[in-house]
Amino acid sequence: MTRALYHLVRADFLERVRRYSFLLTLGFSVYLGYAVYSGQVTLQLDKYRGVDNSAWLGSVVGMVGSVWLSLVGFYIVKNAIQRDRQTRVGQILATTPISKGFYTLSKTLSNFAVLAAMVLVLALAAVIIDLSHSGAAHTDLFALLVPVLIFGLSSVAVTAALAVLFESLPMLRGGAGNVFYFFFWTALIASGAIAMENSKSSAAAHPFADYTGLVTMLTQMQAQLHGLDPQYNGNASFTVGGLNPTTKTFLWTGIQWSRELLLSRAVLLGFALVLALLAAVFFDRFDPARTGWPSAKSAKPTKKLKAGRTASNGIAEQNGHDLPQGQQAVPTLTPLLRAESNSGWGAAVHTRFFSLVAAELRLQLLGHRWWWYAIAAGLFIGCLASPLEVARSGVIVFAWLWPVLIWSQMGTREEQFSTGSLVFSAPRAVPRQLLALFVAGVLVAALTGGGLALRLIIAGDFAGLAEWAAGALFIPALALALGVTTGSRKFFEALYTAWWYVGPVHHIRSADFMGTTAQSSTPAVYLAAAALLVAAAYAWRRVRLAYA
Amino acid sequence: MKLEIEDVSKQYRRGVLALRSFSLELKPGVLGLLGPNGAGKTTLMSILATITKATEGRVLWNGADVAANPDSLRSVLGYLPQDFGVYPNLNAVEFLQYLAAVKGLDASTSARRIEELLELVNLTEVRKRPLGGYSGGMKQRVGIAQALLNDPQLLIVDEPTAGLDPEERVRFRNLLSDLSGERIVILSTHIVSDVEATATDIALIAKGSLVAHATPEALLLQVEGKVWEWVVPSADLTQAKQQFLISSTTRRSDGVHARVLGEDPPLGASLASPNLEDAYLYCLSQHRAGATA
Repeated sequence: MTRALYHLVRADFLERVRRYSFLLTLGFSVYLGYAVYSGQVTLQLDKYRGVDNSAWLGSVVGMVGSVWLSLVGFYIVKNAIQRDRQTRVGQILATTPISKGFYTLSKTLSNFAVLAAMVLVLALAAVIIDLSHSGAAHTDLFALLVPVLIFGLSSVAVTAALAVLFESLPMLRGGAGNVFYFFFWTALIASGAIAMENSKSSAAAHPFADYTGLVTMLTQMQAQLHGLDPQYNGNASFTVGGLNPTTKTFLWTGIQWSRELLLSRAVLLGFALVLALLAAVFFDRFDPARTGWPSAKSAKPTKKLKAGRTASNGIAEQNGHDLPQGQQAVPTLTPLLRAESNSGWGAAVHTRFFSLVAAELRLQLLGHRWWWYAIAAGLFIGCLASPLEVARSGVIVFAWLWPVLIWSQMGTREEQFSTGSLVFSAPRAVPRQLLALFVAGVLVAALTGGGLALRLIIAGDFAGLAEWAAGALFIPALALALGVTTGSRKFFEALYTAWWYVGPVHHIRSADFMGTTAQSSTPAVYLAAAALLVAAAYAWRRVRLAYA
Repeated sequence: MKLEIEDVSKQYRRGVLALRSFSLELKPGVLGLLGPNGAGKTTLMSILATITKATEGRVLWNGADVAANPDSLRSVLGYLPQDFGVYPNLNAVEFLQYLAAVKGLDASTSARRIEELLELVNLTEVRKRPLGGYSGGMKQRVGIAQALLNDPQLLIVDEPTAGLDPEERVRFRNLLSDLSGERIVILSTHIVSDVEATATDIALIAKGSLVAHATPEALLLQVEGKVWEWVVPSADLTQAKQQFLISSTTRRSDGVHARVLGEDPPLGASLASPNLEDAYLYCLSQHRAGATA
């Protein structure tokens, strides 16, 4: 049993770490350590920051790593079961005696192995940075490494199990789960802070509420700072990019490791195990009957088609393989009229661009349940009927979140469904199909948020219309660029949701691509970015396809 | 109408050489491309279908270099890859409408064409069913239909009968024969009977090199007088296989009837009429012997 588990985990781990994308994730871990060291990411306690020593570096790297990997790590590993499904290895595994619980546990462990590798690289980066900065004599490996490893490994264990649980639940398996996780994660982080605020005691008593360890570490730091400066107001925040530089320092001596604290981190490992086994309850064991597609036997022919069945069956009978081959008839095809010259054919191709836009739009919009369209229509009407300010700062924000799972498929569909060889062997496929895809994405933005554009036109607010247009162009451009370059929809779903939350929801000027308020709007920036992103998507696809 | 393949080589990353100085000239008709697994058939198909570029050499379509202007070929190309996917939420009509738009067909032409193609591949009854519910053979028939959407002058089909039931296989063979008149059809397969039924020319490929290019009759002529039927006791079959090149065996009441390929017959063997499978195996064995020498 142990041997089987080892090989399941090993094979999955090796399959992942032998991809170039894994090197990128390790590189990202190193960058995270460097960002803390260089002050690009800093922890501020009001006007204070810690004196540069191993304890401070280890604690801040531990906090940043634990919090960040619990978010980004989820998206990195949430494809373990999907890969087995796509490669059809799952069908082989389903015929073996391994139980569902055993399988979900093995996937959790391989997820954990991948994320643990990132934590270890982060820890190694912290050691190298501290040694080069402080020298061997002043480096305290215990104070440096223990926060990174204990908080990092225990939090990614939960992340690893959550990823498997999400993959096992049909509702959360796809893009909806990717979007939902961001809000789930935000709620978890917030609940830890709220729990601490309410209890005014160590977070060790609330391991589930503080699974990243953020609140535990901050609480100890705040307590130590209070001892040094009773005037300290209790504020604590991470800053990115060196904004609001600190003016004072204090000596942070490191985390006080109590038995309760260590026990709370161990409890998290047990919690991850429970989540892994819970996932087995929902896991479909690669049963195609549970994947949601209608079975071939269940569909009924339409009345019109029933009428034609006799003729069709007649052909089938004639073509039965018992008959001599020479007597088997095949229905004939009408030859197509084709322009003699290539230029004539090419000119015709250009005139049919809008047919392709319509086909791409249909491809994007098909396959949803009725309530998806009802809500989309409601958002359009909401944009149109609400007071202009409400529509601009409120309704449009949701109108342009609703199609996120449509946009996230842009540029990834050919890889996801293995249709690339069919699509890209067509004439001028790269420029035509890519542009048609982008236009279809913009039309989707107009379908849900177009009500606001109409309001702005009626009101004669053309500056507002430009801001709306910037958003409508930027969002599909971002989706297209990320989809084409990564081949995965997850990146857009994660990045867009986080960006949407930080920028348009909070009207932050530098991040508000929807222009939800006049103050936060920078349409020229996003119009330019949209053009650059489309160009980048085109260039990438052209390079990737030898003949483009 | 002419397709010329001139000294084409293809080297993948890590140094794997899939094609070596492959040359061939094709005119209207059905070319059966035969070869063992890993011979380079799919790589050649991908190059001809403008999916990937040759590392060396040229492909010329009516005298024009395809690498310089791939769209000149793509406009008249129909391609059925060995492994392809479909969009599961679309039905067959919607999927074909999408690909017709990608290929640049106008709406009315594509609507008529799709109706005819669905009838041709026997999917009319299930045309409104989402492709996600199709069986493997039904998806393969959708693939065949999409390859014919633009009435291609060059039709490339890679293992087209994989997953088809015998009835549909025969139907497809007949279709290929009917289509071949005014177009070049390249049928890549390792199923010799598919080639036997349809091909006007045969190219044998092994380890990325062209082993033979001839009409089926010429290939059969090569093994004329070299195929023997030999009745072997079951117990001696293993030893016989080590001594002779055996293309097939059939168990009967008097023992195992083996078809032996070679210049010299085993003792007691009688001369047999060759088939294409014999010719294929004989040519490959000669090629291997030559390569070893």
